[in-house]
Amino acid sequence: MTEVVQNIAQPRVAQPHITVGNLNLWYGEKQALKNISMHIPKNSVTALIGPSGCGKSTFIRCLNRMNDLVKNCRIEGKVLIENKDIYGADVDVVELRKQVGMVFQKPNPFPMSIYDNVAYGPRIHGVNKKDINGVVEGALHSAALWDETSDRLKSPALSLSGGQQQRLCIARTLAVKPRIILFDEPTSALDPISTSRIEDLIMNLKKDYTIVIVTHNMQQAARISDYTGFFFMGELIEFGQTRQIFHSPKEKSTEDYITGRFG
Amino acid sequence: MELSSKVYEKDHKSIRAQGGLSMGLNARTNERIAFTLLTLSAMTVAGFVVIILAYIIYNGYSVISIEFLTEMPRMRMTQGGIYPAIVGTVLLIIGSMGVALPMGVMAAIYLNEYAGETRTTWLIEMAINNLAGTPSVVFGLFGLALFVKYVGFGSSLLSACLTLSLLIIPVIIRSTQEALIAVPNEYRDSSLALGISKWQTIRHVVLPAAIPGIITGSILSIGRVAGETAPILLTGAAYFLPRLPDSIYSQFMALPYHLFVLATSGTNITQNRPIQYGTALVLLSIVLGLNIIAVLIRRHYRQKLQI
Repeated sequence: MTEVVQNIAQPRVAQPHITVGNLNLWYGEKQALKNISMHIPKNSVTALIGPSGCGKSTFIRCLNRMNDLVKNCRIEGKVLIENKDIYGADVDVVELRKQVGMVFQKPNPFPMSIYDNVAYGPRIHGVNKKDINGVVEGALHSAALWDETSDRLKSPALSLSGGQQQRLCIARTLAVKPRIILFDEPTSALDPISTSRIEDLIMNLKKDYTIVIVTHNMQQAARISDYTGFFFMGELIEFGQTRQIFHSPKEKSTEDYITGRFG
Repeated sequence: MELSSKVYEKDHKSIRAQGGLSMGLNARTNERIAFTLLTLSAMTVAGFVVIILAYIIYNGYSVISIEFLTEMPRMRMTQGGIYPAIVGTVLLIIGSMGVALPMGVMAAIYLNEYAGETRTTWLIEMAINNLAGTPSVVFGLFGLALFVKYVGFGSSLLSACLTLSLLIIPVIIRSTQEALIAVPNEYRDSSLALGISKWQTIRHVVLPAAIPGIITGSILSIGRVAGETAPILLTGAAYFLPRLPDSIYSQFMALPYHLFVLATSGTNITQNRPIQYGTALVLLSIVLGLNIIAVLIRRHYRQKLQI
């Protein structure tokens, strides 16, 4: 695998779950990602930081091929998940997205009941009817939402608060049993208390999942992540253990961003 | 853009020329004139609707009876009821909605969710827009040529239903497209991100969210189907037929055409007036009743979606 991917960004980890090699992406004529290479380690939280428009959201949307939906989007390079190129010709995108779940910036539950939101994925994926209850309950437990909703599973999801809705979206993702979960600025629309609940949740989830989170909030990256990557102008400037990135960044622009000189 | 900025400049100059105080007065007068005009327009429209309704009810209620609603016309349609015309109109509505609703909704899904912005799509959209503006008698002639003659369905309920569905398909496509556009893209994205295929996403998330809008389009279409005369006149409506259609290949009576016949032919037009108004009243009631049902269904779905 390392033969495929050259000039890989640090750290070299024992167990990479996702390996990105020389990834380039264009929206029409505009190049949004420039030669990104990195190993994303298994069962850890990897945070991607950087100023608006630096390509970090674009980047995680390459990991579950959500960019396929964008018109005029062209991608070169390799993304290997468990040693399989997800841009290979034989890849079933629908199957890939079952493995790689995604939680979006704005809490966006479907206009259905709490229960139906979580049961939505497993039902369509053909989970046995009598097993659905268990899956829903398990997912709500894992998303730390069970205690608040167990007595009103039939009420509309949109009656929940913003933070609860976001945890419901996490439960909805967990119910499909992915191995990787991508978070695209999951707390930027939430208040501080809801934010800290989601952060706790993410740190708990890394036992079972590999997590990649895009965040605007550097404190958040410092609090919850094991590894941090700094994106700037479509390039991955620096990638390493979170401690190292925040305490002794190697690149000048990383230091400038972290110390708040721009961004 | 250029034009509007010029207009603005001109207004601005004239306002300045009038000076400060008169400008204020001018604005207030303008406001008052606009308000009066808009209110008057709204009242006029509402007034006409009320007058028409009251006139029809006043002139027609006397003939409404169980007999009128459930019996065949007799004595050159001067006595008896309008039962076959009621049944005919209801069958037309069911038949043409049964064809047009699935086709229109599917076409709209294709155009909105699958087709890219290509030349072909543009052509299809143009065709739909033109179809929506085509006079109904043209649809009648087309139905006569295609369904009655060429395909050989004859002058029949089937031909009339197919012709009417062509008439309302553009309406249904348009309203379904608008309903689909109104469904937030976040629903689509988050469903796709769960590893749900595009079609399943449309079926389980997008369509349910769009149903209230689709029903609104259907309400408009029901009124159209119930009221159109020219297309059915050319494709299957009978002048007089004192029995119910026994198959989709039968001719039939329908309320709007029956009304036309009662009001324009025969020897006792004046004497028939109450029957004419009674028929109009029944037609209006059927359309109104179906609209109310549709509105109730729409409300049910809206509540289910918590919109």
